[in-house]
Amino acid sequence: MSTDINKDLDRVRASAQALHATISDSAARRGGAVKADVEAVQQKAKAVMESAKASLDAQNEAARKYLKAALTNLEAVQTHAAEAAKASGQAFQKSIRQTLADARASVEKVTEAVAAKRSAEHSKSRK
Amino acid sequence: MMRNYMAVVFDDTGGAYKGLHALWQLDAEGLVTVHGTTVVHRDEWGQFQVDTKETHPALATAVGVGVGALLGALAGPAGAAVGAAGGAAIGAGAGGVVGLTTDLVRADTRDQASDETAFILRAGQSAVIADVTEDSALAIDSRMRELGGIVRRRSWSTLQDDAWFDDYIPSSYLYPYEYIPPEYSL
Repeated sequence: MSTDINKDLDRVRASAQALHATISDSAARRGGAVKADVEAVQQKAKAVMESAKASLDAQNEAARKYLKAALTNLEAVQTHAAEAAKASGQAFQKSIRQTLADARASVEKVTEAVAAKRSAEHSKSRK
Repeated sequence: MMRNYMAVVFDDTGGAYKGLHALWQLDAEGLVTVHGTTVVHRDEWGQFQVDTKETHPALATAVGVGVGALLGALAGPAGAAVGAAGGAAIGAGAGGVVGLTTDLVRADTRDQASDETAFILRAGQSAVIADVTEDSALAIDSRMRELGGIVRRRSWSTLQDDAWFDDYIPSSYLYPYEYIPPEYSL
């Protein structure tokens, strides 16, 4: 049971990492990100949010706290990506940078949830 | 569980990327949890270079500032200050080495300094900089030793308390997944 839950959380983390990679790759491209990138980011962020929400109930208290924080960051990813979709020039690139920072924060929170989960499992196995 | 910042020093870039890969493998095995990594090189002229995806000069410099500050902090408490300041001026900065000399003259912290400032990135060497949660030091130390790497740690909470990090969130400059630039792909 706990192995399945852990894998589930690992999947959430992998998708959050992939979201960050998508944004950082497009932001780092010479000439910067383009509008088409934003659409992909919005869809990926939505998918990560859905999987994070789905795994929420299966986590211990500490992991759940981090996952909830990650959800806040993922909402910010969507907000800034939506702003980027409407913006142009420097405002567009600024929104992309904010989107990237939010995505980084979301990966961090999901990773903290993974660490909390692993810590609880290690403690249990030592008893 | 302890959360630590660490530098794993290798004699060459290839070794550093093998170390980076091994670190993420340990994460995949559930033995440690890696929050972020990057690789720093020191060239034969003593200049530091941080591997980053960034192509915009200002943003690449920002990465250099952040990682330079972290590198300095890994050299000891005084290195954190010098590293942050040095990083601001020259990108990846020379925090590691400056931190070493600064700390060694502080008699009151000599014991601490002799441990913390053992970290030196010599010309030609590369280091994996990582933010890791680990149950014990054993898993990483033994795997890195096999690869020829020397591990230096500083606790995450100590670094978060450093006033110098008010303006820098060290983790945000590290990649939260295994990023290996195409030119170094294993």
